[in-house]
Amino acid sequence: MTMHKAKSKSILAGLIASAAAICYGAPLHAQDWSYAEAAKPYAGTTIRVLDEITPLQETMRKLVPEFTEETGIKVEYELLSHGDVINRGQADLFSGRGNYDAIMLHGLQLGPLLAAKVLQPIDELKKDQALTNPDLGLDDLIEPANESLVNHSGAQYGFLTWNYNQIYWARADLLNHPDEQAAFETRYGYPLAPAETMQQMRDIAEFFTRKSGETLAGETLSNDFYGIVLEGIPGGTTFTTVWEVFMNNWGGGVFDADGKPNLDTPENIAALQFWADLWKFAPPGQAEYSLIDVPTVMGNGIAAQSIAFSDFVLGVDRPGGGAYAGKFVYGGIPVNAENPDARSAGGEPSLMALSSHSENQEATYLFMQWMVDEDTQAKLMEAGGGGVPIRRSSFDLDVMREAGRQSLYKAMAASLQYVKAKPKTPSFFEIDNTMGPLVQQVGIGQLTAAEALKDGQRKVLSICSDCLLAE
Amino acid sequence: MRPLESRWYPYALLAPAFLVLVVVSLVPFLFAMYLSFHQINFGRVGDFAGWSNYSRLMDNERTWNSLWVATKFILIAFPLQFILGLGGALLLNKRVWGRSVILPLLFIPTMMAPIVVGLVWKVMFAGSWGLLSYNIVERFGFLEGTSVFSSPDYALLALALVDVWQWTPFMMLAFFAGLQALPVSPYRAAAVDGATPMQMFFRLTLPLMAPLMVVIGMLRFIDAFKVFDTIYTLTAGGPGTSTEVPSLLAYRMSFEQWRIGESAAFAVLVWIGFFVLCSLFYHVAKKKLNAF
Repeated sequence: MTMHKAKSKSILAGLIASAAAICYGAPLHAQDWSYAEAAKPYAGTTIRVLDEITPLQETMRKLVPEFTEETGIKVEYELLSHGDVINRGQADLFSGRGNYDAIMLHGLQLGPLLAAKVLQPIDELKKDQALTNPDLGLDDLIEPANESLVNHSGAQYGFLTWNYNQIYWARADLLNHPDEQAAFETRYGYPLAPAETMQQMRDIAEFFTRKSGETLAGETLSNDFYGIVLEGIPGGTTFTTVWEVFMNNWGGGVFDADGKPNLDTPENIAALQFWADLWKFAPPGQAEYSLIDVPTVMGNGIAAQSIAFSDFVLGVDRPGGGAYAGKFVYGGIPVNAENPDARSAGGEPSLMALSSHSENQEATYLFMQWMVDEDTQAKLMEAGGGGVPIRRSSFDLDVMREAGRQSLYKAMAASLQYVKAKPKTPSFFEIDNTMGPLVQQVGIGQLTAAEALKDGQRKVLSICSDCLLAE
Repeated sequence: MRPLESRWYPYALLAPAFLVLVVVSLVPFLFAMYLSFHQINFGRVGDFAGWSNYSRLMDNERTWNSLWVATKFILIAFPLQFILGLGGALLLNKRVWGRSVILPLLFIPTMMAPIVVGLVWKVMFAGSWGLLSYNIVERFGFLEGTSVFSSPDYALLALALVDVWQWTPFMMLAFFAGLQALPVSPYRAAAVDGATPMQMFFRLTLPLMAPLMVVIGMLRFIDAFKVFDTIYTLTAGGPGTSTEVPSLLAYRMSFEQWRIGESAAFAVLVWIGFFVLCSLFYHVAKKKLNAF
C-alpha cells in the first residue's frame, strides 16, 4: 500500500466516522437519556401527587411503583373523587400549603388557578436537557385538547394526562332488530342506525320511548322504556354538556369573541330547546342523574341511547359489567344537520400541573413527564385492557385494536377531533352554578329556553362582563 | 380558706370548658366575621371591604331562596319528627313487647352518616333504577313517572321525609330517656286524685318534660337548618334551586366559587339569626313553659 493510498483510506475512514457521528449523534444522545439517569440527583425524594379516582387512574396507580423502581423517587399517588380532587387540590394551591407537588386539574379549573398565580409553568424545566426526555414526542398528543388545555399566555402549565370525552352510546341489539328497523323506516322514512345527526338522535329517542306493556324488540315490556338518557342534575357537567354538545353545535356558545357573555342568542335558544325536548323521551328521574348515573341507567337497560363520558362506558361495557355488556354501539357526537360546520364535542381534557409551592419541582416534573411518556401510556392501555388515549399512537396499540371495542375507540377518536378544553375564565364555577339550575329548569319544563337564557345572560353579566383571562 | 370556699373555685372549674368553647366556637366565628369584612381573592385575604360582601349577599336572589327552602324544610320535617318522636317515646314507655329489641334498632338511622343516608335513599328511590322506584313505584304506577327527587313538586317534601326517617328515632330515644327519668310520686298522687291519662299527660308529663323538649327541639331545629349531605347526594339542590338550602349554597360559594367573603358574611348572618331566635326561644321557654 502506498503512502498516498493509506492516507486516502484514513481520510475516507475519518469521513465515514464523522458522517456516522453526525448521523447517529442525536439518536445516541436520546438513547443515553433515561429516567434513572435524569433522576439521580433526586433519588430518595418523596413527591405527593393528587389525581382523580376513576378506573383509568387506578390502573395508573399500578404502574407508579415502576417509576419509583427506575428513579428512586418515591411517589405518594393519592386518588380522590371528582369533587374532592377539585376542592382539595384547589384549597392546597390557593392556600399555598404545598402539600401536593403536582395536582390533576380539569380544564375548567385553570381560569381561577391561573388568575391566582398558583401554577408553575414548566417551560424552563422542559428546556433542561438533563431533565427532559428528548423522545417525549409531545407532538403525538391529541389535539385540539392538548393545545387548548395546557397553554396560556405563552407558557405551558403541565401535561395533558387524561382526555375525558363524551361519545354517542346506543343499544346495538335494538338498533339491529329487524322488526324495529322495519317499523322505524316506515315511520321516519330512513333506515334505523346509530345517530349521526342530532335530528336522528331525536327520532330514535322518540321511536324507542315505550310504555310498560308495549313491545320492544319482540319482548313485552314490564316497565317503561326510554329513548334517551342524559345528565340532568344541576351541578356536575349538565350545563357544560348543554354548552359543548348542543349550543356549540348550533353555532352558539357562552362567550362571544371578546369573552363577553353571549347566552341569549337565537342559536343558543334553539339548542337549549332541542336539548330540553329530548327530556320528553328520557326517564322521569333524569333531573337527578349525574354523569355517574347515566351509565348506570344505560347499564340497567332502561334507555336506548345516551351521550356519556367514554371512561364510564368502559366500566359498564366490559365482560361482567352488566347484562347489556357487549350489546352497545358507539359513535362520535352527532352533528347538527342544520349547521354541520359548527362541529363540537363535549369533554374535559385534564392535566397534571406543577404547584408553584412545590419544593420538589424537578423530581415532580420527571414524574409528570413519565406519565405522558409513550411507553407509560402504552403500558397504561395494556394494563387497563384499553382506555382513553391522550396520544394518537395509542389507537394503534394491539390492545386498542381488540375487535370487541372497535366501535368504542372509533367513537372516542371521532369525538376527540373536536374536544377542546374549557375557555380559561376565573369565574367558571360561578357561571356554571348559575346556569346549571336554569338549564335544568328548562329540561323539566319550569322555564322556556328563551326565559332561562335571558335570565342567565343577566346573571352571568353580573358575575363578569369580560370573562376570559387575558392572553 | 379551703379551695372550695374560694369565690374563684367555680370559675376555675368552668375554665377548661370555657377555653374549649372559645377555641372551637368563638375564634372561628370572629375569624368568619373578619373575613366577611374583607375582600378575599382566591383564599387570600385582601383589603377591607366594608359591607360589600353583605350587600352582594343581600342582592343575590339565591340567598333568599335558600332561606325560604330551609324554612319550608323545617316546617315539614321538624313538627313531624317532634310529634312522631314523642308519640313513639310514650308508646315505648308503656313497656311494649319487644322493647329491648326495638330500642337498639332505633339507633340505626341516627347512627348512619348523613351521606350514607343520602346514598341509601338514592339507591332506593333514584328515578327508574332505584330499588323501590324501579320495582314498586314504576311497576304499580304509584306516582306519575318514578322519580321523587327530580320532581319540583315533591323533591323538598321527599327530602324532609328522609330527614324525618333519620332523626325521629333520635327524638324518640331522647324523649324516652326523659320519660324514664320522670319522678313516679306525682303520678301516684294524680292517680289517687283520680286524674285521667290525658290530664296526667298535659298537667304532668308535658310540664315535667318541658326542659328536655325545649333543648332537644332547639337542637333538632338548628340541625335541620344545617342539613347538607342528604340533599347534596340526592338532588344537589335541584330541581332548579328548589332544594338549595343555605348550607349547600354556602358550600358552593366557598368551595366551588371561592367567594369566601360572601360565604363568611352568610355564616355570620345565619349565626346572628340563630342567636336571636334561640335567645327568644329560651326566654319564652323560661317564662311561659318554666323550662329552665
